[in-house]
Amino acid sequence: MDAVVPSFVSIVRVLGIGDGELLHTLVQAGLSFTPDEARRVAGLLGRDPTVVEANIFNTMWSEHCSYKSSRKVLGEHLPTEGAGVVLGPGEDAGIVRLATVNGKSYCIAIAHESHNHPSQVVPNEGAATGIGGIVRDVYCMGADVVGVLDPLRFGDPTGKNAERTREIVHGVVEGIWQYSNALGVPNLGGDVYFDSSFDENCLVNVVALGLVVEEEVIRSRIPLEATDSDYDVILVGKPTDPSGFGGATFASRVIDEERALDDKYAVQVPDPFLKRMLTVATRDVFKLARDSGAVIGFKDLGAGGIACATSELGAAAGLGVRIDLSKVIVAETNLKPEVIACSETQERYCFVVPKGLSPLVLRIYNEVFELPEICHGSGASVIGEVIQEARFILEHEGAVVCDASTEAITAGICYMRESRPRESVEREYVLPDGLDVRAVLLDVLGAVNVASREHIYRHYDCEVRGCTVVRPGEADAGVIAPIPSAGVGVAVACDGNPFYGAVDSYQAGAVAVAESVRNVAAVGAHPIALTDCLNFGNPEVPEVFHDFVEAVRGIGDAARGIGLKDSGEPIPVVSGNVSFYNQSSGGSAVLPSPIVCCVGRLVDVSRHLTTGFKRGGDSVYLLGRRGTKLGASAFLRTVAGDLKAPVPEVDFDDERRMMVAVTDIAESGLAASCHDVSDGGVAVALAEMVLLSPEDDPIGARISVRRLCGSAPGGSGHDLELMFSEAGGYLLEVAPGEEDRLLNILEDRGVWYSRIGTTEAGVGLWFTGTADGDFALTAEELARPWTDGATGAMR
Amino acid sequence: MMESRVRIAVIRFPGVNCEDETKRAVESQGMDCDILMWNGPRERLAEYDGYILPGGFTYQDRVRAGAIAAKDRIVDCLFEEAQAGKPVIGICNGAQILIESGMVPGMTPGKVEMGLARNIMPDRDGYYTRWTHLRVESDASCVTWAMSSLDVTSIPTAHAEGRFVTIDEGLIDRLFENGQVVMTYSGAKGEAEPAFPYNPNGSTRGIAAVSNSSGNVVAMMPHPERAAWLSQVPESLSGHWGAERRGAAGSRRILAEPGPGGEVFTSLRTFIVERLRGRGGEA
Repeated sequence: MDAVVPSFVSIVRVLGIGDGELLHTLVQAGLSFTPDEARRVAGLLGRDPTVVEANIFNTMWSEHCSYKSSRKVLGEHLPTEGAGVVLGPGEDAGIVRLATVNGKSYCIAIAHESHNHPSQVVPNEGAATGIGGIVRDVYCMGADVVGVLDPLRFGDPTGKNAERTREIVHGVVEGIWQYSNALGVPNLGGDVYFDSSFDENCLVNVVALGLVVEEEVIRSRIPLEATDSDYDVILVGKPTDPSGFGGATFASRVIDEERALDDKYAVQVPDPFLKRMLTVATRDVFKLARDSGAVIGFKDLGAGGIACATSELGAAAGLGVRIDLSKVIVAETNLKPEVIACSETQERYCFVVPKGLSPLVLRIYNEVFELPEICHGSGASVIGEVIQEARFILEHEGAVVCDASTEAITAGICYMRESRPRESVEREYVLPDGLDVRAVLLDVLGAVNVASREHIYRHYDCEVRGCTVVRPGEADAGVIAPIPSAGVGVAVACDGNPFYGAVDSYQAGAVAVAESVRNVAAVGAHPIALTDCLNFGNPEVPEVFHDFVEAVRGIGDAARGIGLKDSGEPIPVVSGNVSFYNQSSGGSAVLPSPIVCCVGRLVDVSRHLTTGFKRGGDSVYLLGRRGTKLGASAFLRTVAGDLKAPVPEVDFDDERRMMVAVTDIAESGLAASCHDVSDGGVAVALAEMVLLSPEDDPIGARISVRRLCGSAPGGSGHDLELMFSEAGGYLLEVAPGEEDRLLNILEDRGVWYSRIGTTEAGVGLWFTGTADGDFALTAEELARPWTDGATGAMR
Repeated sequence: MMESRVRIAVIRFPGVNCEDETKRAVESQGMDCDILMWNGPRERLAEYDGYILPGGFTYQDRVRAGAIAAKDRIVDCLFEEAQAGKPVIGICNGAQILIESGMVPGMTPGKVEMGLARNIMPDRDGYYTRWTHLRVESDASCVTWAMSSLDVTSIPTAHAEGRFVTIDEGLIDRLFENGQVVMTYSGAKGEAEPAFPYNPNGSTRGIAAVSNSSGNVVAMMPHPERAAWLSQVPESLSGHWGAERRGAAGSRRILAEPGPGGEVFTSLRTFIVERLRGRGGEA
């Protein structure tokens, strides 16, 4: 039976009143429940909830925390298991095995989230706390963060919201560098798209990648040892303040401009300096626990703050916790108990440790690292204890302000939303005659969604930690060698083309997987895991929900269809996030934006490949047949605007064969460079290979456009389709002496290929055999639009 | 007689973030290395032959980068060790600490004579990350001891405040004359005083590293620990090291060999062995 709530504890009256009055009560109390949800809470408790309980359920049942609209769909379509998976979705980060070195099983922990709403309202702090939150998800598994990536989507830089868009771009990029550079985590990549659908809802996704030894993984749960010994709950980090109170519910609704000022207080305040101190000190705590043979639990505080973290720690073990909110170190006096329980103050973690270890843990933070002095008021304190009964009890100033079963709090709720296909918007595109291919290529190269992202990534420290092998801008994926004593490499890339989402959400999901796999394979790595962040509008709108379901289906099918290189098992989706309500109060949703990150393994990192041509006299090979569908392509958007023509369909078998062949080729050391074919097709990919060749020894190429449709004579295809098709493929630079071995692999693996030309020092890019004859572009002509095309939008 | 191994201490101030890779780079050049806490027992410092202040954001760059750490008592201890001739290298934020403490250039004891100001770059602001080419201006310092003047090397920079400036008239000329300008940003072939992005921050006359008059205390903005192995060099880099890197593609053995930053740490070791220990055994 539930404890009787003392009469001086505030309650929210739910039972025995009608819908109208209840809704009024909820709004007055600042709760976003529906009346039905409020009654379900009262039903679970067997009484009216206290204000603290109501706020906890309000947070835990938000879309952001509960995945109430998405959970069923994700479970149905995404493969999450596999021989290499140590931990799938469910905790803060997924974990997958990387390599065994000197008897130790090294793993990659990876988490992927969004911080869209906060970044729209307060760009700098929103993006910074996005990084701050995602790295905590990885650190709290016991891992050391070895890289971050940031896929970004911004509004139209020349549209009606241009001024605000530029402020957001500047603020977001600044927030990312100010946080991650100070924390000391290298930025390994990301991508950027601009479109007016993001005018009122930018997307700021963040990925963090960590390294952890398998037996040193720390779980986000109370250890089972706590069933027969005493365990304390320790809170460490920044003093708790009201910042971010209501953050999870803010992320779970449409941004309302009228409420923009209130929403600012729902955004947390970043402190990378304190995070760095916590990170280094926490390593010492992990070591202390290992050395003393203690099993501990560890979790970061994110959405829902203390309430969410401690209840989940308990629920994961079937145990309970009793927390005294009066023992929480606070930044200001007179904070209400619901604020202490649910505020989302940044830079905090929660430990569950054997009682005997507590003083030593406190000593590390408070004395060895002097946190209270160095970072004003921060530190570690014991705030409660583990209890055997699976109850979640919060006390404040001597009164019980929350007493519920941990299961009830963390089980969440689930909705099956209505799903309805959009009316088809696809229109056939007819290629016009008389387009000047040369001029079109320069226009596409300079398009804001194609041109170089150098202006942004040079703000990011990409080499801190000293393990970086391939930096942003050098290849299709970032590459690190995270285990200093070993030759194994990790490649990582993220992708998601929103313009595919505008036409076909299933293909947008599938191509996000295929493209991220290609990016990782193009540096020579074979995929070992995927993560996804699914950014959509309001899921209560049936068409939006349909887009979501289709994207998830596309991701699942691609992960299974392409598969792991060796076993052919599905590439596991080990972590992810759903962000709904990316919709303006005026009603328009962002383009369906499934964004996928792929992690790959390089058995020998010295065999990695980069994009730029390396030397004259090599052969250039194209892998992957060109298609005729130009919908959503950079070419079509450049010449025909937003026309929604059919997009290319991902052929999973072809993608698999090419991934296997390209990684074989890289491992055998047969190629000098490699680049995948994506936005802008073969023409843009070739230009980039020229532009990224050695700075003081630029290498060009002579390319036969007819050969793009195959080596056999008589191949047909329209020049524009051949050059700009975004059907999946790869370009390889291969020395003449290696061609026999290359062809053996390509034939063995059943890959479509064509030898399309040769490299030559200093010639720029020549295309021969177009319908209008030959044409050439110097490296300088290519460089101008590509270097400057997007700089204005990013400044 | 067997020389005892050189021992280096890397100082961990609150907020540094390059201590681990700096330690690895030091060890790769045959030295022992420990990371010491800023608030640890100061008498331990005397056990070491040299010191490195690694990169990062000490004290959150409050006031100015390096300004708070420069006031820490451990800096006074380092100053005393430096007076005895022991090397102290400040890298990036460490350089900012040495400048803010007045240890570099150290013309007038206790006086802050230079500043590391915000980068000035055309059409951009804030942090900037780039591999730079560097010309060795003086081979008498502890970071260039194993190199020769006018050598060109390549090391990455990553900072928002790295522009060497001074209001002391004539100071820059004197630093050049005294051989206290250790490295300047250059073109790939050593061309002097290049424009952005070769000079990545608008530093006065392209200055990238400055020492005290004895050459044993050096404030350098580039990060040699990020260039300690050939594998860390970008394939598309221009100049000698870019060509070396491309030539090593695919070879695990060659990529594991020292990169351009390795020479900085070799210099530190040989400086200690030849100059300190070689001099009448006073070390």
